[in-house]
Amino acid sequence: MMTGGCPFSRRRFLQAAGGAAGALAASALFPSVLRAAGEKTVDVGVSSAAGPAERARGAVALVGGMKAFVSRGDVVVLKPNIGWDRTPEQAANTDPEFVVAVAEMCLSAGAGSVRVFDRTCNDPRRCYVSSGIKGAVEQFARKNRVGDALRIYHVEDRKFVRTSIPNALSIKEWDLYRDALEADKIVNLPIAKHHSLAGITLGLKNMMGIMGGNRGQIHYRLSECLVDLHRRVPVALTVIDAGRVLLRNGPSGGNLADVKSFGMAFASRDVVAVDGIAAEKIFRLSPRDVGHIGKAMESGLGVSSGAQIRIVEG
Amino acid sequence: MKTMRILRRLAQWTVFAIFAFLFLNTEYKDNDVLPYAVNLFLRLDPLVAGAATLAGRAIIGLVWPALVVALLTVALGRFFCGWFCPLGAVIDVADATVFRKARRKDAVPVSWRRYKFLILFFLAASSLFTLQWVFLFDPISILIRTFTVSVFPALNLVLHQIFDGLYRAPGSIPRVSEPVYGLLKAHFLAFEQPVFRTSAIVGLLFLGILVAERYQRRFWCRNLCPLGGLLALMGRFGLFRRRITEAGCTRCGLCEADCRMGAIGGDVAVTDHGECIECMDCQAICPEEVIHFSGKEGRRPAAVDLTRRGVLASAALGAVTVPFFRVEAHGKAPDPLLIRPPGALSEGEFLARCTRCGECMRVCIANGLQPTWFEAGLEGMWSPILVSRIGYCEYNCTLCGQVCPTGAIRRLPLQEKRKVKLGLAYVDRSRCLPWAGQSDCIVCEEHCPTWSKAIVLKEERTLTPRGDWKMFMKPYIDEDLCVGCGICETKCPLTDRAAVLVTSRGETRSTGVLAR
Repeated sequence: MMTGGCPFSRRRFLQAAGGAAGALAASALFPSVLRAAGEKTVDVGVSSAAGPAERARGAVALVGGMKAFVSRGDVVVLKPNIGWDRTPEQAANTDPEFVVAVAEMCLSAGAGSVRVFDRTCNDPRRCYVSSGIKGAVEQFARKNRVGDALRIYHVEDRKFVRTSIPNALSIKEWDLYRDALEADKIVNLPIAKHHSLAGITLGLKNMMGIMGGNRGQIHYRLSECLVDLHRRVPVALTVIDAGRVLLRNGPSGGNLADVKSFGMAFASRDVVAVDGIAAEKIFRLSPRDVGHIGKAMESGLGVSSGAQIRIVEG
Repeated sequence: MKTMRILRRLAQWTVFAIFAFLFLNTEYKDNDVLPYAVNLFLRLDPLVAGAATLAGRAIIGLVWPALVVALLTVALGRFFCGWFCPLGAVIDVADATVFRKARRKDAVPVSWRRYKFLILFFLAASSLFTLQWVFLFDPISILIRTFTVSVFPALNLVLHQIFDGLYRAPGSIPRVSEPVYGLLKAHFLAFEQPVFRTSAIVGLLFLGILVAERYQRRFWCRNLCPLGGLLALMGRFGLFRRRITEAGCTRCGLCEADCRMGAIGGDVAVTDHGECIECMDCQAICPEEVIHFSGKEGRRPAAVDLTRRGVLASAALGAVTVPFFRVEAHGKAPDPLLIRPPGALSEGEFLARCTRCGECMRVCIANGLQPTWFEAGLEGMWSPILVSRIGYCEYNCTLCGQVCPTGAIRRLPLQEKRKVKLGLAYVDRSRCLPWAGQSDCIVCEEHCPTWSKAIVLKEERTLTPRGDWKMFMKPYIDEDLCVGCGICETKCPLTDRAAVLVTSRGETRSTGVLAR
C-alpha cells in the first residue's frame, strides 16, 4: 500500500503490539512502581488575564516563573503553531503577542538564544507573515536590540536528521529538526483548537512541527506517534494559548464564526497534564476521551491521572 | 571615438542587471502585491504586444511600453538589439568568452538572414487568424522561460548541493560557508528548490541558440529572431545611421570584418540599416575615425534580400496552418487535467494571449504552475497548467495574475480570486485510506482552505480488507464550495497517485461566470 515509512509493516506492528503488551504486563506486575513514579503532583497554571501577553506571563508565573525552566545561557527553541496561512483572528496559529511574551520571558531568564520556527502546512513564507508571528518577533527583537539572541527563521530540509526513537510504539525512526534536537530547552507554544482527526490539538500535537518527511502518514497512528515523538524530544515547558479558540473546522479553520474567545492560558512542565486540563476547561472533554491524550497518559509520558495534577489559578 | 561603444556596453550590462533583478524578484517576498513591475521586459516587447493584440483581438493596456519601443525604433533604428535586448547581451557574453576563438568564416550564407523576416510574416499571419506562435521565437519570452524553467532551478540545485556539502563538512568549514550561504539564500537562491516539466528540453533549445555562435556571430539575431526582423523593418529609416566620410576611408575593411551583424556589405560604405544594431564597434575600431552615426543619409542600403514569393509563401503558410490546429480533437474534448491558473481567460482567448514566458510559473508560490507538453495541443505548448501533485494553488495568493504581461491571466483582487473555480476535486474511493477501510486519515480535509470546508468528513461504518466493520471518517467533496485549488491532491499522503484528485470539471473561466 505504501512505501518506506509505512507504520503497518508486519514487523512494526508486532513490535508495537509487543511493546504495548509489555507495558500492560509491567503495569499489572509492578503497579506500585508506576504509582510511586506518578505520585508527585504536577502544577498546571491557568491564567485568565486580560491580554495574550499578560495571560502568557501569568500562566508561567503560576508554575514558578520562566527561571524554573530556562537557565542562563540556554539555547531555547520556541515552537509556536505557525502552520497555516491564516490571520491571528482566525485562531489557527498561536497569537503573536503570546509568542513574543514567552520569548521575552526566556530572554529575561537568561537564555543565550531563543529560536522560533515551525514546519508549516501552507507556504511557509505566507504562514510566517499572515500569522503575524514573524512581524511581531522581529519587531520585538529590533526594538529591544536582541536581534542576535532572538531569531525567527524558516525550516530547511537539510537540517532534518534521521533520528532513531528507542522503544518506539510506532515510529522507530523519523527525520527530526536538528535545532530542536540540539536545543537545551524546548518551550512548546500551541494554540488550543479543534482538530478533525485528533479531536482537539494542544501541546502534544503541536510538536509535530519539528518532524520532517511525509507527516500525513503519521495520521494513521497519530496517538502512538505523538508519544514516540515526545519521548525522544521532551519539552521543558508547554504554554497553551487559549485566548481565541477555533471550535470547529480545525486545524486550519478560516471562518470567524467558528472562533470563540476564551481568554485563557495554561502552562505546565508536563505536556500531558496541561493538555488534559485544557481539554477539560476549554472543550469540556475528559482527557481520556481524547485519543492521543489518553494514549499519552496510559504510556506514562506524563501524568497518568487527574489526581496527580494541581491546578493553580490566577 | 570609443565613447559610444563604452556607453553601449554599459547599457547592455545595466539592462541585464535590471533584467536579473526583476527576475529574482518575481517571487513572493512577504508581500501580497509584488512591489516591482517584474514583467516589464515582456511589456516592452513589440512582437509580444503585436501578436497578443492581433490574436487576442483586444486592446491590451498592459503592453503600452511596447509602443514606446516601437516609436523609438522608428526614430533611432534597431538599437534595441544592440543596446537593450537581454538575450542579445547573453549571446554577446557567450561570444566573448566561450566562442572567442571560433573560426567561422562564411559558415552561414548571408541569405539566411531573410528567415527572420519569413518567420515574422508567418507569425503575423497566423496571429491574424488567432493562432499565436510568437512564444516559440520571441527572445524575451525565450529568455525568461529558459531562466525560469531551466537555468535558475539548475543553478539553485548546484549551489544548494555545494553549500549543503560544506554545511556537513567537518571543522570550521561551515563557519565560513554558512554566512555566504545565508547571503545567497536571502538574495539569490530560491526559497524552495523549483522543479519544472520540460526543463531539460527548454535548456537544450537555449543551448542551441548559444552554440550557433560557433558558426556565426549573433547567429540568432541575424537569421532567426522575429523581433529583430520586426525592429529591422521599423528601424530601416531611423535617424541614427552609420555613415562614412568617404574621403578619409582607406578601405581597410576592418569594420566589415568585425561587424557582429554582417550589416556592412560589399562596399564598406554601404550599411544595411535594418541589420545594423548600432553597437558602435565599427566606429570604435576605425583607424581613420571616419565612421559616424548621425541622421545624415549615407550610401543607400542594399535591398533587403526578401523575395516577394518568400514573403507571400510564409504569410500564406501562417494563415493556412491555423485550421489544422483548430481541428485538433482536444478542442472538443479537452484534457481533464488541463487546469489553468486562477483568472485565466477562456481557453481560446487565453492561448491567443499567453506568451509562454513562464512568469506565472516563476512566481507561483507552491511551484504548482508548470509548462504543458501537449495537454492543450501543440498550440498550447509551454502554457501554464496547475499540476496539483507537484504544487497547489495557494488560497490567499494572487501573484500569477499580477505578473502576466498580456492579461492572459487577469489580475484579480483576492476576494474575487478566491471565488474562481479552477476545477473540482473528487475522491478515488478505491484508494482513499478511510474509504478503502485501510486507516484513519483526514489530511485532505484539514488542508482544505475554503471557509466552509469543501471537504467534509462523515463518520461511517466501513468494511475493512480483513472483513470486519470499523468506523472511519470519510471525505466527501462539496462541489459548490470546492474551488479546485488542489491542495488536497498535493497533500494526500499516498506516495504515488493521490486518492483525491482535481480535474477541470466545473471550472468557471470558460463561462465567465464566477462561482459562489
